[in-house]
Amino acid sequence: MAATPTIACIVEPRFPGGTSSAVARELAVLRDRFAVEVHGIGSRMFRDRPVAPVLERALDDLRLPLRMGAPQISADLVVVHNPSFLKFDEDLAPRIVARELVVVTHENMLRPGGLEAFDAAHCLRLIDRSSLALRKSLAPVSAYNRSTVADWLAAHPDFAGWGLLDGDWTNICDFDIEPPTERPADRRGRHSRPGFEKFPAAEVMDICFPAHAEENVILGGDSLLTGETSRPHWRIIPFRGIEIDSYFKMIDFMVYFTAATWRESFGRVLAEGVAAGKVVISDPDTASIFAGAVMPGRPEDVDGIVAGFVEAPSRYVDHVLSAQEALTAFSADAFLARQAPLFERLSRRAA
Amino acid sequence: MILLEAGRRSERGFDAKMIFAAQLSDRGHAVVIDEETVPDKFERSQKYEVAPYLARIDGPRISTVLMIGAEDIDDATLARLRGLGLGPDVRVVAIGRFPDRQSEIGARSRLAYALGREPGTFNISDHYKGDLHVTALSPLAALEIPAAASIADVPEVFLFLPAEWLDEPQTLPILAAFDNVPGFRLNVVMPSAGKDVVKRSRYTGLNVFGYSELGPSILARRADVAVFYGDAVPGERMAALAVDLMASGKPVVDCTQNASFQTSGAPVLRGPEELAALQNFLEFTVLVNADSIGREARLSPWLEARRLSKLEAEFGLAPPARPDPVAPDARVLFMPTNGNGLGHAQRCALIADEFEKPERASFAAFPTCVPLIKGRGFPCLPLVQKSPDFPEDYANDIVNYLRLRRTLSPADHLVFDGGYVFESIFRTIHETGCRATWIRRGLWRPGQISEAQIERERIFNRIILPGEAFEELNADYSQGHRMRRVGPIVQPTPGTDPAGVRTRLARMLGVEFDSLVVTMLGGGVAADRSAQLQRVCGLLARRPGCLHLIVVWPNSKIAPGIYGWENTHVVRTHNSLALCTAADFVVSAVGYNSFHELMYHRIPSIFVPQVAPYMDDQERRARAASDRDLAVTVLAHELLGLERAVSGMFAGQGAEIRQRLEALELPETGNRAAAGLIEEELCP
Repeated sequence: MAATPTIACIVEPRFPGGTSSAVARELAVLRDRFAVEVHGIGSRMFRDRPVAPVLERALDDLRLPLRMGAPQISADLVVVHNPSFLKFDEDLAPRIVARELVVVTHENMLRPGGLEAFDAAHCLRLIDRSSLALRKSLAPVSAYNRSTVADWLAAHPDFAGWGLLDGDWTNICDFDIEPPTERPADRRGRHSRPGFEKFPAAEVMDICFPAHAEENVILGGDSLLTGETSRPHWRIIPFRGIEIDSYFKMIDFMVYFTAATWRESFGRVLAEGVAAGKVVISDPDTASIFAGAVMPGRPEDVDGIVAGFVEAPSRYVDHVLSAQEALTAFSADAFLARQAPLFERLSRRAA
Repeated sequence: MILLEAGRRSERGFDAKMIFAAQLSDRGHAVVIDEETVPDKFERSQKYEVAPYLARIDGPRISTVLMIGAEDIDDATLARLRGLGLGPDVRVVAIGRFPDRQSEIGARSRLAYALGREPGTFNISDHYKGDLHVTALSPLAALEIPAAASIADVPEVFLFLPAEWLDEPQTLPILAAFDNVPGFRLNVVMPSAGKDVVKRSRYTGLNVFGYSELGPSILARRADVAVFYGDAVPGERMAALAVDLMASGKPVVDCTQNASFQTSGAPVLRGPEELAALQNFLEFTVLVNADSIGREARLSPWLEARRLSKLEAEFGLAPPARPDPVAPDARVLFMPTNGNGLGHAQRCALIADEFEKPERASFAAFPTCVPLIKGRGFPCLPLVQKSPDFPEDYANDIVNYLRLRRTLSPADHLVFDGGYVFESIFRTIHETGCRATWIRRGLWRPGQISEAQIERERIFNRIILPGEAFEELNADYSQGHRMRRVGPIVQPTPGTDPAGVRTRLARMLGVEFDSLVVTMLGGGVAADRSAQLQRVCGLLARRPGCLHLIVVWPNSKIAPGIYGWENTHVVRTHNSLALCTAADFVVSAVGYNSFHELMYHRIPSIFVPQVAPYMDDQERRARAASDRDLAVTVLAHELLGLERAVSGMFAGQGAEIRQRLEALELPETGNRAAAGLIEEELCP
């Protein structure tokens, strides 16, 4: 009789952003097929924060306990989410025993230009020291993220024992799909958490959100855009200041550029924008993650792109509909299909 | 222009910026510190120390940003840097003591996100061969000193003690014994609380500096030997001072309990932990070998690794341009206070007139004095007057400090004439190392010259005491080899002929007169003398053939009612003496200058002393003359007395007094002597 393979998910439950959202979503999918345990590890990185609400809700809904402090974690597959949580720590407490150990690299290991984003070698070394597994793999969350991981591995021959998982461990995006408006106007916006890395230089912000646009809604820029860096023609709303749906009603175009020295590894907010029925524009690297769903462009191109769609509303509608179609590449089924080889290996050995 | 930032906005960060800014500036770089990063707790001495570097930041003029303490960067710092709008070619360097790789990666990333461009990083822990055991944010770099400084004949020993050492009963007596050793000059450095204790004790003679009283690079310039006591390296400032001294080739002695300096690898001497043993150690081990100790230290790899020139290369700073090898001609800078009236400025001008090379005399003076000085033909740097518009009453002094600092060079000679030594003067003398003389006339009121002021004597090479005409008025407030008495400083004969003056007056004013009375009762600042003026005007209005001149400084106040009196005219001039010599008698206040002018030019006078608390003891001066029947003294409230005195002068008393004055032998004037004393201190 085939025993159900066991999966242990290890996560720092206080990750505030995309990591916790991604983990919350995929737990529901995995739980249907596998025996899942969720282990939380506290780290120095998030000293005073609470457990991420989205994760807490998911665990509640699934009636899965968050196990803390287990001295040993063993399963057929152990998934460690976002190893960067170990960057300030000296050791990883639990002993990990697994047939397959997968570390999901929710954060890019290299920044644009090839510089290290965090001391990944240190983090992986801690995991190495504490774990025993037949196979160890790094699982990138997108094609762009994969390129940073591959480049990092090439520069760190000490970690040759780590493989790269074939299929991307993408975020599962199953947002409610909203239809596009048939009368788009030059109403632009962006939403993100208020970190410096999420915002491009002042000149780029000025090009993307000019005075001649009808609306410029910036959700989550409150602490950064003050004084000289703010503009009278921008509507700046604090992060979590309004419901995300209300925000989407204010805009027709999402214009999302980050600091030149940082890139999204996945960019969940972009998928949110597409699902909400907006035309989403971003830099080519980031847009490539959602090929077909997000429009690639440079800041200088934005005015032209927006004008083109406003003048031809049917083009706007067509584009959004096909973008939303392309989003299905990130559905739960697509995720499972992508990881099929891994899950098959598990099932075979479990038998 | 280099913008110097600290990772975290804090008092420590700000202090570290000041230390490093001074080093970079000494090296010839233009450095600024953002005025927005001033901490809430901002002491007076810090305001002076940071003044040369504090600025409102103008994005386009910044060429490099150096951030110290980059191991801990806060959001406020990042937001501010981002808001400056730095151009893409501005180099940003994050300097820190990064404990591990993640720390350095984190610093680089945080700056990269906020600025949109990659900064350089510099890990001090990696580059230095052992860091001093102290939590420091500044790099504690070693200055470039082209040649090892040689120890002075009487070396300045700087001794660092923690304040707790004063609890030990033997400490002060031991220090007092050191203080009397002729072989070196002792300076004690301790936290300011400790300094207060010493000053209140019997040992007030000890020269004590507070830790933060002067910047470490300034103390380092003065010190020839430094000795550290206590448990460990006493903080970042003292660490910076120690490194500066080592870099200049001066011995540093580590007497700390944990040998903290030595165990970090620094090229220091290990000295005795017992304070009582220090004197012998200094005399027989350190001072005899001071030069070779210093030379050896300068070559140590520990210092080499932290040479500022090496750091400059790492930070991408171009080495500063060589300073102009031709030094400007050394000159004397007179700085008179303006108290009330222009007496101090006048006295300085009289002395400058006696210079063999008057072209070497220049002035720095407050606005009211500038016309007088320029009128005498001397260049004058304007200083800034006190203003009620600022919460600090020394706000103007900070500006003056900056002006003096820019103007003076080490070869110059600063001559200060006044009672209160401003902090700007104290700091400028220490910083530039110029020669300094204090012209201090006496006859202070009790309580006017304080202990603290006598303390400040120490920074002057000489103190010139212009004498009083009458010997009993000369009192000694302090003693020492630096004091030099000279005769009274008096304006010499104006070279005008009294009869000629009277003729010209008659012509200019269109009046005939046979008697001339001059009144000089001040400009209404020290006290209101309008009652006395009115009385005199009234008396003289009734006297036919009398011309009454009220002489005031050009910017003085005169009550409008004075102008209505018959026979009375107001004259605004600096040249009162010419008029006084032509007068039958004078009614005057009794300031030093006026009194001596009237005595030395044998002019019969009615003295009305000023009694404002900040003025000299004018009544004593007046009575010294009137007790000898050489003048008449009338107190301000004695208006009937004033009437009698004026009538008496006309009735023959004036002529009698004139005769006695003419027979009087007065001490030789001191103008030439004072000028000589000042000029000889000037390098050729």
